[in-house]
Amino acid sequence: MMFDPQVIIEKLPEIGSGLFVTIILWAAGMIGGVALGFVVATLRRFCGPAVNLPLGFVVEVLRGTPFLIQIFLLYYGGPFVGLMLDPTPCGLIGLTVYSAAYYSEIFRAGFAAVPPGHVEAAECLGLTRMQIIRRIQIPEMALIVLPPAVNLSVILLKESAVLSIITVPELTATVSAIGSQQYAFLEAIFLLAVIYWVLVEATDRLGRLAEHRLARLRFSKA
Amino acid sequence: MSLPAIAVKDLVKRFGETTVLQDINLEFPQGKVSCLIGPSGSGKSTLLRCLAFLEEATSGMITINGEALGFFQTPDGKRERLPAAQIRTVRAQTGMVFQQFNLWPHMTALGNVSEALKTVHKVPKAEAEERAMAQLRKVGLENRANHYPSQLSGGQQQRVAIARALALEPKIMLFDEPTSALDPELTGEVLNVMRDLAAEGMTMVVVTHEIGFAATVGQQISFLDHGRLLFSGPPTEIFAKPRHPRLDQFLDTYLDRGASMLV
Amino acid sequence: MTLKLFTLLLQAAISTVGISLVSIAIGFVIAILLSAARLSGKAIYVAPTQLFISFFRGVPLLVQLLLIYTLLPVIGINVPSVVAAIIGLSLCTAAYQAENMRGGFESVPKGLIEAAEVTGLNPTQTFFRIRVPIALRLTLPALVNEAIMILKSSSLVSVVGIIEITKMAQDLASSTYLPIPIFLSAGLIYLVINWVIAMLGRYAEKSLAGTSA
Repeated sequence: MMFDPQVIIEKLPEIGSGLFVTIILWAAGMIGGVALGFVVATLRRFCGPAVNLPLGFVVEVLRGTPFLIQIFLLYYGGPFVGLMLDPTPCGLIGLTVYSAAYYSEIFRAGFAAVPPGHVEAAECLGLTRMQIIRRIQIPEMALIVLPPAVNLSVILLKESAVLSIITVPELTATVSAIGSQQYAFLEAIFLLAVIYWVLVEATDRLGRLAEHRLARLRFSKA
Repeated sequence: MSLPAIAVKDLVKRFGETTVLQDINLEFPQGKVSCLIGPSGSGKSTLLRCLAFLEEATSGMITINGEALGFFQTPDGKRERLPAAQIRTVRAQTGMVFQQFNLWPHMTALGNVSEALKTVHKVPKAEAEERAMAQLRKVGLENRANHYPSQLSGGQQQRVAIARALALEPKIMLFDEPTSALDPELTGEVLNVMRDLAAEGMTMVVVTHEIGFAATVGQQISFLDHGRLLFSGPPTEIFAKPRHPRLDQFLDTYLDRGASMLV
Repeated sequence: MTLKLFTLLLQAAISTVGISLVSIAIGFVIAILLSAARLSGKAIYVAPTQLFISFFRGVPLLVQLLLIYTLLPVIGINVPSVVAAIIGLSLCTAAYQAENMRGGFESVPKGLIEAAEVTGLNPTQTFFRIRVPIALRLTLPALVNEAIMILKSSSLVSVVGIIEITKMAQDLASSTYLPIPIFLSAGLIYLVINWVIAMLGRYAEKSLAGTSA
């Protein structure tokens, strides 16, 4: 079996559009997940057990079940409760909700990791609750949260491949379809693996670079 | 007799079932350095945290320059919480320095010192930074203004923390074991800043294990043990022999050789 | 939704658990070997190990499964699809477990290794008798997490036609037109299995904590 580069070159525009869909879904899922996850973490921290417990349960369920099951439930179950979604918006909603559960846990750990003394120091100086959250807790948390958030974004990119199963025209679906049409499935899947690999490595490096930049702001030991 | 800077009356603090402070009655005089000493777990840090309103006393009253802190006594003897704005005003008269410095890691030294001026007092950025710089100069760290806490030694961090508290021009400075987290060779620079402050006539309440500092700079020494105030008075009286047996025991444990010559 | 459908899902759960457990176990052994290769410090072992770990952590599991599924017959290995799925899951989890173990191996205090050396243990003995047990204790929580990850990821083997919870749920949903109760039940089964794994993990951590100095 020979690797035929001609096939790939011919299909480059198609592959490009699949890559584009993957990146858009990834970015939008991340932004939505961060925003929703932050809201969930904040509500859970500051609104008492009546909010914390049910939200905690939802987060546990989302983290404890496969993404594929969640997507199937939304895609095949949705129409039964009047929620008719095309594959792509369905995938986007799924990715956002799924990642929000994980991001919320990262933010929760971030809140908990800000030493209480840093908040007390601000209280003593007369900063209000909101000022403390905005000026002290969130920026400090950002430093703590960055490495796991980068990790999660990489996981999210890889999870987005699952959306090919409900026929979202993203990278995996596009490239494996080309492979089937051209009777070059192995080559196509191999190419697919390499593209993801490069994307993941690049994200990882970028994340580490950002961490390095911020490292000087890390907590001193004392 | 002038109004005490801080007056503590019948103060009780419980955490659940445990009583951490039992019926504390104590006054801290204006313009003087008062030291709280005692073994670990004696409640001295909790008392200081009550003065900073970081802990709310279970019962009793604290007044700062005559104004009630946090709670007030109604004529029929009930204790009621004051409105938040009023609590903030009374609290603003004190500045607090922590054992662990608690500098904010994402801000430079200058950022730490100028933060409250900008956000709480709405001082314009340029003026806030100028005033913050003046405080950094006072603690000898003008040239470290743009360093982040992680780039400073422990002693320097604590001096920045002192500057941060001073920037709001408090009438009273509270210190919670300010040198306990420092390597021995770094305690000197912090104690020197505190000595200068005392010489300027700042009212200070210092929880400390530095008996040498307490004996030489302190003007009122209060000894706490198991949540009770055993006695309080000028150092000459407190450290004079014969001493209270608990104090003797405590000094045996905490006194270093240099300080034993002082007391 | 009838009890019969739920029973079918539960039966499928046996294959989910079986595939996951076998993969975790094989992956664990490979991960130890990868760690040994990486700790050897010799470039001829370290470089391919890094490449392996980077690849299997960098490519979506779904793509890995498709790759292995198509590659095996091409290179002349004809195995049932269950075996192909287990190979895929094992290689993937091996990469993740090796990465987790790295943290554990790095936190083994140098003094303990030096102590083993001066007592006369050779490098292999030091690795298996000192480094591995200490590092594993440190990485146990990560291993439990990884087990939960793999259990969830095993849902992807449904795409190569293996009947496990997800595939069964998909088939039942399309034949009964009851997707909501069926997928919810499937989710519930995953959740319960994960809770059991987490509880076992916590129990193991506790009993290990008692034995570590």
